[in-house]
Amino acid sequence: MNQTVNFQLSSDIKLSDCITINPYLLLLLEHFDIGFPLHDKSIKIICDENHLNCELFLIFANLYNGHQYIPKTPLSYNDTQAIINYLKKSHNYYSEEIYPNILITINQMAELNNFKEMALVPKFFIKYFNEVIEHFDYENNVVFPYILELNEHIKAKTQNEKKSKYSVLEYKEHHNDIEEKLNDLKNLLIKYLPQKNDQSIRRKLLLLLSELEYDLNIHSKIEDFILIPLVAQMESRK
Amino acid sequence: MNKYKNIIIIESSSIIYEGLANILMKISQKYQLTQAGSLEEANRLLIKKRYDIVIVNPLFIFNNIKSFNEIKCQYSSIKWVGLIYSYFDLKLLSLFDGTISISDSHEAIFSFFSKLNSNENQQDQVSSQEILSEREIDVLKLLAKGMANKEIASRLNISTNTVITHRKNISIKTGIKSISGLTIYAVVQKLVSIENLSD
Repeated sequence: MNQTVNFQLSSDIKLSDCITINPYLLLLLEHFDIGFPLHDKSIKIICDENHLNCELFLIFANLYNGHQYIPKTPLSYNDTQAIINYLKKSHNYYSEEIYPNILITINQMAELNNFKEMALVPKFFIKYFNEVIEHFDYENNVVFPYILELNEHIKAKTQNEKKSKYSVLEYKEHHNDIEEKLNDLKNLLIKYLPQKNDQSIRRKLLLLLSELEYDLNIHSKIEDFILIPLVAQMESRK
Repeated sequence: MNKYKNIIIIESSSIIYEGLANILMKISQKYQLTQAGSLEEANRLLIKKRYDIVIVNPLFIFNNIKSFNEIKCQYSSIKWVGLIYSYFDLKLLSLFDGTISISDSHEAIFSFFSKLNSNENQQDQVSSQEILSEREIDVLKLLAKGMANKEIASRLNISTNTVITHRKNISIKTGIKSISGLTIYAVVQKLVSIENLSD
């Protein structure tokens, strides 16, 4: 799963071929609002049809393939809108789909395996889930509107007086915890928690957790190495 | 468990930079690469952010050995790697922590970087499979009961810094970092009973 798919995507490749080779790109399609069927269209054509900057798409898609893609033209401030739309969609996927799925699976596991200590796992996860939601809410309600407003001010060439003390660098530290606790849970399941009737459900759970981890890792790369540097540039313009 | 590794590549040829970048990205998704066109530019980058590895074409330090040494002393935790594609004096090459050559195979570069990283984590690796010491178990038990570092320190008559060191080692050995995760670990290992947990 975390194996990198060994080829670099470029704009003239058929998107359908990319998906066949690396099915994790399906999430990327969904987050970018690209629908089926893809026919034999190239990445460039599909991006144009969806009014998407093809270079931005290639940066993200290559992250999924484990490549660092250097765009032919640097991203512009106006790309922040598309990046934020993507991140919001991905928050939605986490909070509405994969985290609830994981919780259901954890509860099933705790039901099958009635060791006393097993009851601590759903508790751990619910607490963690709430922290994650809180973090997403903070980004959706504070960080993203701040960035979009900043972009509007740059476009209109006006000063953003109200929030000029805030800086996007402040929130960089936030998401480390999310990946840390996920890793703790994986280690507990693999290395320490006693097994009883729950081997196959635990396997399903671990695969879900790995899938989430893979996507979260890319998600935070997008924030740390694409969005934040772009916004830091915007801030220094003021 | 490791965080991102930030790497600067001082190299003016974009063919070489992008080629090397591609190979490195295949080795690990956790590498974050930045290109610098000169030693001065790299120095400016180093001031702004923490970097782990700097890969340098020795041409850039050939006439700058003094300032290279100064930068090297200033950032002693960084690994300096020479990127060799022509003949250089051995004395110059001895300034680096290691060298790779543009004629190296993927496998050679792969094993070079995994060795470089393992040197760095040697301490982690030695201890990662040992069981917890008695003192670490004492700390873990109190942690699981919901005590803060300071309380633990005064209870065990040790300094807060020592508590922090114990906690770090516990996490390295168990692979678990959060207090809530460590609490479950402590229960599974029968170090504390569920009834004694704080909520």
